Amino acid sequence: MTFLVKAAIPSDAVGMMFAGQLTETESAEAAAIIRAKFHLDQPPLVQFYYYVSDILHGDLGVSIRTRARVIDEIGYRYINTMKLAFGSLMIGILLGVSMGIISAYYKDSFLDIATMTVSLFGLSLPAFFFGILLILLFCVQLRWLPVIAGGGWKGIVLPAANLGLILSASIARITRSSMLEVLDQDYIRTARAKGLNERLVVFKHALKNALLPVVTIIGLQIGNLLGGAFIIENVFGWHGIGELGVKAIQWRDFTITQGIILISAATYVVINLIVDILYQFIDPRVKLAK
Amino acid sequence: MKPISVFLAVVLLVAALAACKPAAPVVEDVPVPEGDTLTLRINEDPETLDNVRTTSGSAATVIGLTFAERLIYIGTDNAVHGWLAESWTVSDDQREVTFKLRQGIKFTDGTDFNADAVKFHFDRILDSKNASPIKAYWKPLKEVVVIDPYTVKFVFTSPFAGLWNILNYSYSGFNSPTAVQKWGDQYGRHPIGTGPFMLKEWIPGSSVTFVRNPNYVQVREDAINKGPALLAQFRFLVIPEDGTAMAALKTGEIDVSILNSDTLPQVQGNPAFSITIDKNSTSLHFIEFNCKKAPFDDPKFRTAIGYAVDRDAIVQSSRGGYSTSIYNPLAPGLIGYDAAIGEQYGTPYNPEKARQMLTDLGWVDTDNDGIREKDGKKAEFEMRSYTGYTYVIRTLELLQQNFLDVGIKLNIKQSDWGVFYLGLKLNSLEMDLMRWTWGDMDVMTVLFRSPGHRGHIPEDAELDPVLDAIETTMDYNQRIELAHQAQVLLLQRMIIVPIQADWTMFAIKANIQDFHFDHTGNIIPGDIWFKK
Repeated sequence: MTFLVKAAIPSDAVGMMFAGQLTETESAEAAAIIRAKFHLDQPPLVQFYYYVSDILHGDLGVSIRTRARVIDEIGYRYINTMKLAFGSLMIGILLGVSMGIISAYYKDSFLDIATMTVSLFGLSLPAFFFGILLILLFCVQLRWLPVIAGGGWKGIVLPAANLGLILSASIARITRSSMLEVLDQDYIRTARAKGLNERLVVFKHALKNALLPVVTIIGLQIGNLLGGAFIIENVFGWHGIGELGVKAIQWRDFTITQGIILISAATYVVINLIVDILYQFIDPRVKLAK
Repeated sequence: MKPISVFLAVVLLVAALAACKPAAPVVEDVPVPEGDTLTLRINEDPETLDNVRTTSGSAATVIGLTFAERLIYIGTDNAVHGWLAESWTVSDDQREVTFKLRQGIKFTDGTDFNADAVKFHFDRILDSKNASPIKAYWKPLKEVVVIDPYTVKFVFTSPFAGLWNILNYSYSGFNSPTAVQKWGDQYGRHPIGTGPFMLKEWIPGSSVTFVRNPNYVQVREDAINKGPALLAQFRFLVIPEDGTAMAALKTGEIDVSILNSDTLPQVQGNPAFSITIDKNSTSLHFIEFNCKKAPFDDPKFRTAIGYAVDRDAIVQSSRGGYSTSIYNPLAPGLIGYDAAIGEQYGTPYNPEKARQMLTDLGWVDTDNDGIREKDGKKAEFEMRSYTGYTYVIRTLELLQQNFLDVGIKLNIKQSDWGVFYLGLKLNSLEMDLMRWTWGDMDVMTVLFRSPGHRGHIPEDAELDPVLDAIETTMDYNQRIELAHQAQVLLLQRMIIVPIQADWTMFAIKANIQDFHFDHTGNIIPGDIWFKK
């Protein structure tokens, strides 16, 4: 699929590598050599054959721009993106679920209105803009963090907070509405009537049942998370596949772009699988069709 | 979800994670001296530091500022000076240039810099196996011959006047042949030169750090410091986003940054920074035509358009005023530029004259809709340009207004650079908005000598020989004379409508001293130091 899309695009990557830098013919010899090396002068079907057989051998090819293996270029960056995604997810879930529970429990109170307003900002603010704001506040004004922080916790805090806060907005809303629905149920009234500790009622009985739609939303947001990572990684200089992806597209480095699309798609598939399995644990009534 | 697709996805992920090697940082075994570090921003990680394999901006910046020294440099007096070359002679037939090299210069791995090293570099460029993007710049070069250990001869198929410009770019700097042979394909990760700094550490995607070369001897006459660099370290930080870079400048995480008209006001007046502005731009912003397609095949029509362009307004709107209106088909920073020619033959803003000319050419608004017609055809045309830059959009918008003001409807089409540039070759092209940066007057030949760099300029018995002579005249004064002639002829034909030349602006920390440039805009890194 990825391959067909690439083949359909009429841009000549190799020509573009030198376009604008060379004022005469775009170093036809250089272009010819690169075309031969990457089988670009072969008909699409032949290219596809090489492509698939290479993947089955674990070879995603070589970057057109740097000549390094795609696996090497993407590999460590993929791990970085996963770290960021994980961090953002943690912040998003913790913050979002807490806000949702509080809002639902103290429905229509000042707390409820406040948290929902905050979440509105999270939903409406573009990730890019929010990122620059965070840098201006925490790095330039307060000097709590360096602008260029590298890979450690100092480097991940702001981008994870950025994505996490945005994620928490939708999670908070769904948690709130789901909790409201559940808290209204008969079995909750029963549990309270039985004299159960309020904390037990909320967290053990109510939350567990309210979680199903929340897990659904999280599953859907994974796609957004990976996509948002593309923008955020560039703003904060976080060395993930998003940062690489933007550059690869600008450089028409289609082996890298293909590799990133493939890995992202695979990730999405696997995560959805995990979400499906999670359903089974949360709600035993859901059985996975085998 | 079909199990098979899940299975494949898992396999792929596991294989990817298992097979990947985290990009190992390059760490060279060189001592890190005590002293100050200068941190400069680059837009992207260089894909390689082998100057035979790349012409990308970030690579060229890093290479040129640290380890790759060249045979000559062009001084602020606009003359060519010896650098690694002591002197040179040009043969009578102008096809051979023989350089006498300075002696006693060594690469940082101990290899001698000599005629063999020079030949080695150019052999690599010419070798098609290396697919060097530099090769096309050296079309007239036939071979480089070693005469004796410190004498080397360049043999050309025809006199190559552009030689002096190309020789001073970073891709004409020399690499240690020993190191290239030792590292082979990996040389780009372990470069070795003769310059004031040598590679210490390269963290892919993040930063490239160089340290002082303790054995360095500065042989350039325009340098203030003749010994090893005053800085201990020279560090390049990769920051893709402008906004992030400005933040890093303010926090002091970088010491130097290029500015544009949007970011300059953020640091102007701030005592923590000094701003250097170089108005001697080698970049020209201009309108190009498909001179083979009506009505743009008529010089009078092109000239009428020239009078319709309000350059001063464009300078204000697109560059915030940090740019110069230009009337010559040549950038002001180039040797051969003469403002008087632009004043005499150029087209200052005069919409009334434009309207008169268009009417005289038969373009009249018969149906009163504000747009002229001729022979049933409406004066509605398309201008192409590239995306990604605010100054382009603002210029296009103003041009639309300017053209409408004289009765022409302008449609705009933007694509990203690669698509735009390749698409310019199409015959459907009418006009395009272009910016070109080049350090030598032979840019006129490269762009405008028929058939033109995109194939839309007709043969011209008067102009073509002048443009050809620019490339083959080695005599300095004669060449300047030819540049004048070319500018006059180009303006008489209005092959392009020049608009503006934007300024190069740097913000540097106020305590940085001796941050100075040569004619080409190259900084002399060994001179820079921090005042305490």
